[in-house]
Amino acid sequence: MLLRGLLGLVGFVALWSAAIPLFGVPDHVLPSPLEVVERLGFLYDHGNLLMHIEVTLIEIFWGFTIGLVLGVLFAVIFARVPFLERISTPLILLLQTAPKIAIAPLLLLWLGLGAAPKVVLVAIVTFFPVMTAMLTGIKYVNKSYIDLADVLKLNSWQRFLYIEFPSAIPTLFAGATVATTLAMTAAVIGELMGANKGIGFLLATGQEDADTATVIAMVILLSAIGWAFYALLDYLRVRMEDRYS
Amino acid sequence: MIKIKGVTKTFGVGADRVNALTPVDMHIEKGEFIAIVGPSGCGKSTLLRLIAGLEDVTDGSIDLGSKDKKRPVGFVFQDAVLLPWKTVAENIRFPLDTSAVPRSVSDAKVAELIALIGLTGFERALPKQLSGGMRQRAAIARALADDPPILLMDEPFSAVDLLTRETLNDELLKIWEQTGKTIVLVTHSVEEAAYLGTRVMVMSARPGRLRKTFKADIPQPRSEETKRDPRYLDLVSELRTMMREPVL
Ligand SMILES: Nc1ncnc2c1ncn2[C@@H]1O[C@H](COP(=O)(O)OP(=O)(O)OP(=O)(O)O)[C@@H](O)[C@H]1O
Ligand SMILES: [Mg+2]
Repeated sequence: MLLRGLLGLVGFVALWSAAIPLFGVPDHVLPSPLEVVERLGFLYDHGNLLMHIEVTLIEIFWGFTIGLVLGVLFAVIFARVPFLERISTPLILLLQTAPKIAIAPLLLLWLGLGAAPKVVLVAIVTFFPVMTAMLTGIKYVNKSYIDLADVLKLNSWQRFLYIEFPSAIPTLFAGATVATTLAMTAAVIGELMGANKGIGFLLATGQEDADTATVIAMVILLSAIGWAFYALLDYLRVRMEDRYS
Repeated sequence: MIKIKGVTKTFGVGADRVNALTPVDMHIEKGEFIAIVGPSGCGKSTLLRLIAGLEDVTDGSIDLGSKDKKRPVGFVFQDAVLLPWKTVAENIRFPLDTSAVPRSVSDAKVAELIALIGLTGFERALPKQLSGGMRQRAAIARALADDPPILLMDEPFSAVDLLTRETLNDELLKIWEQTGKTIVLVTHSVEEAAYLGTRVMVMSARPGRLRKTFKADIPQPRSEETKRDPRYLDLVSELRTMMREPVL
């Protein structure tokens, strides 16, 4: 699996290198892989690259964590108090279908150029898939488990704690895995729209300076981080699925 | 004693109405082992679920004669229904954990049940690591955990192989003898019904109803011997004939 991925990567880099002399692509359109790597090295030495990566990672971490916790919390509340779910469903549907990225400028206006608006944006995009997944998991619990709960005359708190919550865990992690991609995108968009730190900031700077090598380097960096983030959650999802279903 | 008086059950409304059960009357004495047989869709599961309180009767009444008990029945489902995230011991302990029984008491009870049901060594296994027969054993142990006077079983052994099934039948009889519980068991097998029951009730479909009750006058305790006993063989053949002949 890893080997095949590595092979694909090597092939891709080889094609990329070969295409440049073959088609006479100018440097400002497509720099060679070597140049991109050199740019990464340069940014590492002189551009505080690690600090920027750290800033983005921290935004994603807090945003994702907050979105996850709130998503689970709201799902639990909605599941326990169906009346609340009914009255908030229209609002939630509206928020869910609205392009959440569109509120980025608003967040920047309110919260400034620091990490806060990015954290909030990441939390918002994480919230919906997590909340929906958790709520679905709780609602569509296996009918037989309900029978068991009925025979044992469990009260509603026991039902939730011992049956609904554990059986919703695999669904919850499926939602969280989907949310990783959204969370990455949200953090970068937030940074692109206004920041003085972070990978998105470097990306925007590269664009302004028509520095294609930097832009490509940042795209590659973001893909790598996004992939690792996704892989981590997917691994957890598989573990949870194994344990809870 | 279970008193079932004029119990009917219909599902759905309007065009989708299904008469799952037309008036059923039966009295089950304390300590009896009732086996229920009948064709698919005759309302066996429905009757059991009504006794367990998993469904509400459309008409009539069911008296379990144990109002003081919080959980008068233990239920063994067809497909075990063990919680997959709990170990065997935790699953068996579940009824006790959810009624505030202290761990010192419940752990002793679980150890006793695990020995009784022959799952020693699998306390910490997860349900998915068990065979179908072992899962059913665990489910029986769980149903016995908080000592309900009545044990309801809906085709508990239909998913296990024949040899395991016979072993489980003998173990069930042993448990019944030791605990004196009232057992109502649904099965598709007339042999199983005749072997286990003190009475066998035959139901028929469309509409679901109780057709006839047979007293199983076969000496206790039952064993391999029983299967050669003419009284057992007669009952099996009588049951089979009745199941085959069309309902008038
Ligand atoms: N929840 C339900 N909603 C609607 N109809 C139902 C429901 N449960 C059972 N029925 C109907 O009631 C009838 C009796 O069903 P029941 O499950 O009790 O039969 P059974 O004797 O247990 O059959 P089997 O041997 O196949 O398990 C069937 O016609 C079935 O379709
Ligand atoms: Mg059935």
